Amino acid sequence: MAGNMRQYAFFLGCIAPNRYPGCEAAAIKTSAKLGIELLPLKGAGCCPAPGAFGAIDLKVWYALAARNIVLAEEMKMDITLICNGCYKSIWEVNHILKHNDELRDGVNEVLAEVDMEFKGSIDVWHLIELYYDKKVCGVEKVRDSVVRPLTGTKIAAHYGCHLLKPKKERHFGDTDNPMWFEALIEALGAESVQYRNKMQCCGAGGGVRGYDLTHSLDITNEKLINLEEVGADALTEVCPFCQLQYDRGQVEIEEKFGKKYGLPVLHYNELLGLAQGMTPQELALDLHAIDCTPFLEKIR
Amino acid sequence: MVETKNEPRIGVFLCHCGTNIAGSINIEEVKNYAKTLDGVVIADEYQYMCSTPGQSKIIDAINENNLNGVVVAACSPRLHEPTFRMATQEGGLNQFRFEMANIRDQNSWVHMHDLEGATEKAKDQVLIAVAKARMLEDLQPKSVPVEHAALVLGAGVGGMQAALDLANAGIKTYLVEKLPTIGGRMSQLDKTFPTLDCSQCILTPKMVDVGRHPLIELRTYTEVEKVEGYIGNFTITLRHKARGVLDPDQAAARAAATGILGTGCNGCGDCDAVCPVIKPNPFEMGMAPRKAIYIYHAQVMPLQYTIDFDACVKCGLCVDACGSEKNAIDLEAVDTFEEIKVGTCILAIGFDLIPIEEKREWGYKQYDNVITGLEFERLICASGPTVGHLIRPSDGKTPMKIGFVLCAGSRDNTGGVNKAYCSRFCCMYSLKHAHQIMEKIPGAVPYLFYMDIRSFGKMYEEFYYRIQNEGAKFIRGRVANILEDPITKNLIVNTEDTLLGRPVAMEMDMVVLAAAVQPKPEAEHIRQMFGVSKSQDGWLLEAHPKLNPCGTTTAGIYLAGVCQGPKDIPDTVAQAEGAASAASIPIHMGEVQLEPYFAMCMEDLCAGCGMCLNQCPYGALDLIEKNGRTVMEVTEAKCKGCGTCGGFCPGGAIKMQHFTSPQICAQIDAFLLKGGVN
Amino acid sequence: MAKVKEYGNAELEEKLRDTSYYTDDSNPQFLEDVKKISRTAANMCFQCGTCTGSCPSAPRSSYRIRLFMRKGVLGLEKEALNDPDLWLCTTCYSCTDRCPRDLAPTDVIMAMRNLAFKFDIVPRNFLKTVQLIYNSGHGVPNNDVNRAARVKLGLPADPPTTHSYPEFIPGIQKIMDFYKMKENADRILSEGEH
Repeated sequence: MAGNMRQYAFFLGCIAPNRYPGCEAAAIKTSAKLGIELLPLKGAGCCPAPGAFGAIDLKVWYALAARNIVLAEEMKMDITLICNGCYKSIWEVNHILKHNDELRDGVNEVLAEVDMEFKGSIDVWHLIELYYDKKVCGVEKVRDSVVRPLTGTKIAAHYGCHLLKPKKERHFGDTDNPMWFEALIEALGAESVQYRNKMQCCGAGGGVRGYDLTHSLDITNEKLINLEEVGADALTEVCPFCQLQYDRGQVEIEEKFGKKYGLPVLHYNELLGLAQGMTPQELALDLHAIDCTPFLEKIR
Repeated sequence: MVETKNEPRIGVFLCHCGTNIAGSINIEEVKNYAKTLDGVVIADEYQYMCSTPGQSKIIDAINENNLNGVVVAACSPRLHEPTFRMATQEGGLNQFRFEMANIRDQNSWVHMHDLEGATEKAKDQVLIAVAKARMLEDLQPKSVPVEHAALVLGAGVGGMQAALDLANAGIKTYLVEKLPTIGGRMSQLDKTFPTLDCSQCILTPKMVDVGRHPLIELRTYTEVEKVEGYIGNFTITLRHKARGVLDPDQAAARAAATGILGTGCNGCGDCDAVCPVIKPNPFEMGMAPRKAIYIYHAQVMPLQYTIDFDACVKCGLCVDACGSEKNAIDLEAVDTFEEIKVGTCILAIGFDLIPIEEKREWGYKQYDNVITGLEFERLICASGPTVGHLIRPSDGKTPMKIGFVLCAGSRDNTGGVNKAYCSRFCCMYSLKHAHQIMEKIPGAVPYLFYMDIRSFGKMYEEFYYRIQNEGAKFIRGRVANILEDPITKNLIVNTEDTLLGRPVAMEMDMVVLAAAVQPKPEAEHIRQMFGVSKSQDGWLLEAHPKLNPCGTTTAGIYLAGVCQGPKDIPDTVAQAEGAASAASIPIHMGEVQLEPYFAMCMEDLCAGCGMCLNQCPYGALDLIEKNGRTVMEVTEAKCKGCGTCGGFCPGGAIKMQHFTSPQICAQIDAFLLKGGVN
Repeated sequence: MAKVKEYGNAELEEKLRDTSYYTDDSNPQFLEDVKKISRTAANMCFQCGTCTGSCPSAPRSSYRIRLFMRKGVLGLEKEALNDPDLWLCTTCYSCTDRCPRDLAPTDVIMAMRNLAFKFDIVPRNFLKTVQLIYNSGHGVPNNDVNRAARVKLGLPADPPTTHSYPEFIPGIQKIMDFYKMKENADRILSEGEH
């Protein structure tokens, strides 16, 4: 690879590699065109799931997340990732342990059992923030990489919760009506469409999807109604778990509530891949529960 | 120029008051109607007549149309009569050539949804005002000189501040206090919110300043007996209650007058030690004893003993203990009287707690361990009866769980002892009490039972935050009742946690009632003497709740502190400074103008019968000999223009200026006959 | 009201159960534990309701995050931890963003869930995640359909995680065993199967 490539340890998490491998493939290929090289973070595991796992014992959550971070520390490389849930675990634990000696000492006591130590020597980034960050990439560079603009499509943004919130511990600013994701969507030539209650949660987090699926899907359905209202052609997000909830969730919603939307849901890296000329096959869009064909036809 | 003096030339000016009037009254229709009225030469309207362009319309119209009468149909004369009088005067007319029709407060606001009816009524109001305007006369306001002295009644923190401000402004100030010492309620408090300053520590220096200020004439153990006069010239009779103990000045005066020697009371307390009579000390809320000869507490100002003659058995032991050198005690003392002359007065007569025992459900005076906030102040105060150790009255043990009942009698519309208003400082002092418990008793937990926490003042919400952070527990629910465990004397507080939606029965070691405040019992008599109104809730009534909060409707009388309505120390001091400023203005002006609405004796009609003299509530009338006849004479400065004498006079010899019989008859005729007569 | 009735009739006693809050219902340690685990000053809640108003779960359930905050302040440990609504928080953190007292109600819920686990109160789906991570390193492990798809994309059949490097799994297990997490999860799951 060229010397001007920025290298990051690519933390995969679970859902991207194991359910939507197109996201993983797209992230690696699209980033390469933007000067970002993603290297495998060997031996990484679950982040672990901040809601479903953290709910049981936060101490173990800290320790397992720290284990993943230490793998990257050993590579002497910052982590980047493509999932908001992973961001919550990996970014937040990295942040907390850097600033809380008591918790860090506790975690290091456990990590010593596996000959590891959290040093706090690296940073953690969501890939989308690297794309938006002018110092790394920036919206212009994203736009310049587009060979097949998504012209004529109306795409709605779903930011997801764990990337931006709680805002006092993050660095993204406005969590009530941010617009930076829309800028990245428009860089692909699409129209970004605004809709009611944009910042609402997908409904999957906190273990609720597993605990009370009906409840969880009712939250999901609310956003689908709002998206139908404004005639969105697709929903895009930066979290495979949100993607799972909106994509497979539509099948479940049809089963449980008898409502059918057929709204394609694509990770931003999948969208970016399409705009950079990747084929649907290269993105494994056939693994999506909701057929992406109507959307693909619009950009053909 | 045509002689127009006796021919009415009236201008009518209608104000929209934004949409306040124009939203409910057809201004154009009323204007056109006004133009048809006899004597009206111009009718005009404007969005805000009180504004500079509005007033210019009046001034220009007077000059251009040679008017001799002005009618403004707008808001209340109480608000803007002075404004339009000034405009009338600027136009070159006598300022009393002005009449106002209140088509807002008395019309558009009450008939908001009846455009047609309101418009008709406005026409009548204008008609009536024009009828009077046709007969207006030039009048001259009366100037009277102002006495260069002031009275402040009540020497709590508000009264003391007002007196200090007046005195510092160079005005001789009589500070009159009913009790033997100044300091008021604030001297009973331990600490003050939100700064937690020791109350005595910040108050005592002020008390000393008051005591030694050369322009403050301190009159403790003194009440107002009689009030006569008017702004600038009040004559106040003071009753010095028999104190039975002479201070050094009084002793010196006695020596000069009678040759009886003695240096007077130096506060040594030898008398106190020997007095055999023991009474509860009201300063300590009855929780500590005092003798029949006593001081309230160590910091009293003046440091001078007082004999409670209701309790004293005149055994004479104190006289012996005092000794011949000081010879300060006079067991035969009687009340004495003093007449003072002042230009203005400030009432700062304070408040009481309601008799909270009448709220039977909370058990005050039924259960030992239910106390009031003021009793708590004394119990937690290092100089109090328990030297600052908070104990349960039932067994002297230290309470660990203490309940605070907020809104104890406040915000309660059931009447009687209950008060509809917010007492405004109970939330904050209860928060402070909670802090003091946690500070003084390790492990003690305060529980505040509240409806709202009203922490509105500067740094108050922050104080609330602090106390919650220190560990105070808050239960949002008004206490329904308190029950006593008959064995442990613990208290069961019943309410709902309205945030939880569940009934609550919490066992407390002690409960403190943040009792509502109410006016002093003597406030009613005092306000009548000074001619001050009271508001619906019983507190003394300010002249205007927003624009004149220190003044009253009686010129020269001002209000400070809780007697005007519940307020905390900062607000009391602020109002006291405002009242002092307002009270000093007439004094520094040196003279005041009185409105010329006096009764006037038309001597050729007066039979000198004198029957009017007794009718006058202000003692303004006298009989005099003039040109060989007995006729009535009005002391204009005393006359309030009430009209009692004018209506009564069998000979019709008394003319009420600006409200003459012909003027009033013309108004009535105009209304009844719809302008059919002239 | 008498708390103990001794009517000898369980149904009647439940129907007429005293719903009052008494001081001794409170476990003050509960609030302290919640504060420590959540790292937020849970005692400072003044019950404004902004949290419930921000909550996506509230309008479609009886879940009221404000009530959990209240129960934390009052030390109503058993009630809070036994309430099935405790598990309806999606951890979206909207309440935390808007709390005027700068608290993190979301983290209070997470702390209460942690405390509930100590009493073996936890929905089964949460425990299954524990088992999956313990066994594979992943909460959502790979499967054959996905492996085939990965190969088609030119990716290795298993990602370069614990799936490709299972030698890292014992490290994960050691960490979880340190806290006896798997042991407890297995026990609770097996007890539930009786």
